[in-house]
Amino acid sequence: MARAGGLERQQALRIAFYAVPAAILMLAVFAVPLGTVVIQSFTSEASPGFTLASYAKILSATLFVRVSWKTLEITLLATAFALLLAYPLAYYMAQQPPRRRAMLMILVLVPFWTSVLVKSFAFTVILGQSGLVNTAISWLGLPPVKLLFNRIGVIIGMSHFLVPFMVFPILSNLLNQPRDLVSAASILGAGKWRIFWRVTLPLSMPGVMAGVLLVMILSLGFYVVPALLGGRQDMMLANLVDFYAREIIDWPMASALSVILMGTAAIAAIILSLIPGGSAILGGDER
Amino acid sequence: MMVGSGGELRLVGIAAWSILAFLILPSLIIIPIGFGNSNEIIFPPNRFGIELFVRFFTEPGWVSATLVSLRVACATTFLSVVVGVPAAYALSRGRFPGKRLLALFLLSPIMVPGVVVAVALYIYFARIGLRDGDVRLVLGHVVATLPFVIVTASAGLRQVDPALETAATIMGASRFYLFRRVTLPLIRPSIIAGALFAFLISFDEVVISWFVARADTTTLPVKMFSSIQWEVSAVLAAISTMLTALSALVCLAVARLQGKESA
Repeated sequence: MARAGGLERQQALRIAFYAVPAAILMLAVFAVPLGTVVIQSFTSEASPGFTLASYAKILSATLFVRVSWKTLEITLLATAFALLLAYPLAYYMAQQPPRRRAMLMILVLVPFWTSVLVKSFAFTVILGQSGLVNTAISWLGLPPVKLLFNRIGVIIGMSHFLVPFMVFPILSNLLNQPRDLVSAASILGAGKWRIFWRVTLPLSMPGVMAGVLLVMILSLGFYVVPALLGGRQDMMLANLVDFYAREIIDWPMASALSVILMGTAAIAAIILSLIPGGSAILGGDER
Repeated sequence: MMVGSGGELRLVGIAAWSILAFLILPSLIIIPIGFGNSNEIIFPPNRFGIELFVRFFTEPGWVSATLVSLRVACATTFLSVVVGVPAAYALSRGRFPGKRLLALFLLSPIMVPGVVVAVALYIYFARIGLRDGDVRLVLGHVVATLPFVIVTASAGLRQVDPALETAATIMGASRFYLFRRVTLPLIRPSIIAGALFAFLISFDEVVISWFVARADTTTLPVKMFSSIQWEVSAVLAAISTMLTALSALVCLAVARLQGKESA
């Protein structure tokens, strides 16, 4: 018996070799390039060897400071709007019978899996000067509103992109809440609003927190939406990385900026993994 | 506070359906425009027809970019499935030191902003002198697709009845035979779902491609991205219609596969 156990353990150890190709591939195309960026961020064209010059330069650049604030502002706004839209949707979906919920889920998944280019292009049509929204506004006899190539366009495009990412963790939390609590509160005479505010909503906070963090991590790295729906004033950090890497061709600066971006995302991811249910999201357990 | 019982749920229903309409509207609005017959991008179009689709096939550049995307997406899918499924197997069945760390490493690209990966590969490929456009794109896309394949295959492996694998082992099957003849067929729906996701991610990938693609290997999304930025063409509506149809098809296929697996 002991020998069989040992054999089994040996087998379980040997299975590790099945992961070797993936590990080598990810080392070659992910870890080493990122490592190169980290090393590059500590060099500068002026002096060989280790230096913090790029970080000093970037942290004192007005462009960086301005873009960082813009990124933070846009991230917070887009996250808030995504939450505002995702919560009622997830709440409604959680109340539905499973078959109907699966059908609604497809309506969430199709935009989720639609190319960000298609969505952005569609928004240029919807929000443009002679677009759907402005046509409706002009019917009402009101002057047209500028909704594109400015902050409004970026926020609308980003919120639209982010809603599904917020729906998944909140819905999964709502579905896992014990039903008995609601019936117990109801038997004790609590109204539906009271049950929602005192039972369902507080219990769903881990799901909300997980969704908010996930969406914030994603927002920090947005590149396509600000480039296509925003104006020059709505450049985000990801666009700034591109600016340094390919327009100014200052690789140490682009690298330092990438490291800052990566570090911020990593901190958010660590916080996320500490929330109950958050680590499942990091594993990408979304359906 | 007591409110009439049906009332507020109906209110939530109206809100939820409005939000769903907002989510699905961009995908839907693009379809009639794609079947419009004019150079102007307007909704609703004045005339309907397939002129924009014809232009997609006849105007230079679009078809060749689509072929690059197809080629790269197929190679990326193949590579990420061949490498990712065994990795998922190791992570779910193996017991070895550092397993959690390995899982974290293999899935971490999900949490790294795409532009960081893109810049890293841009600098790295320049340093090592990798010039082949297809190889650059496939290696870049694998970073984005591999975690998805691993996650989907792992979800499938979690559903497999361990008794089946134990039975095969007792009957003397080797580890590799067991993996190939018992486990792989059992998780086939998950592997196909992962492959479909990988294909779609690669086919739609913009940011990494925008950095690593070379002039002779422009992918469809790269060409679309620069077209939306610089010279918006009505052909984009026809392409968007086709891409939306592709996404919807993949979603429905995966929904069916998942239904099959749980049944």
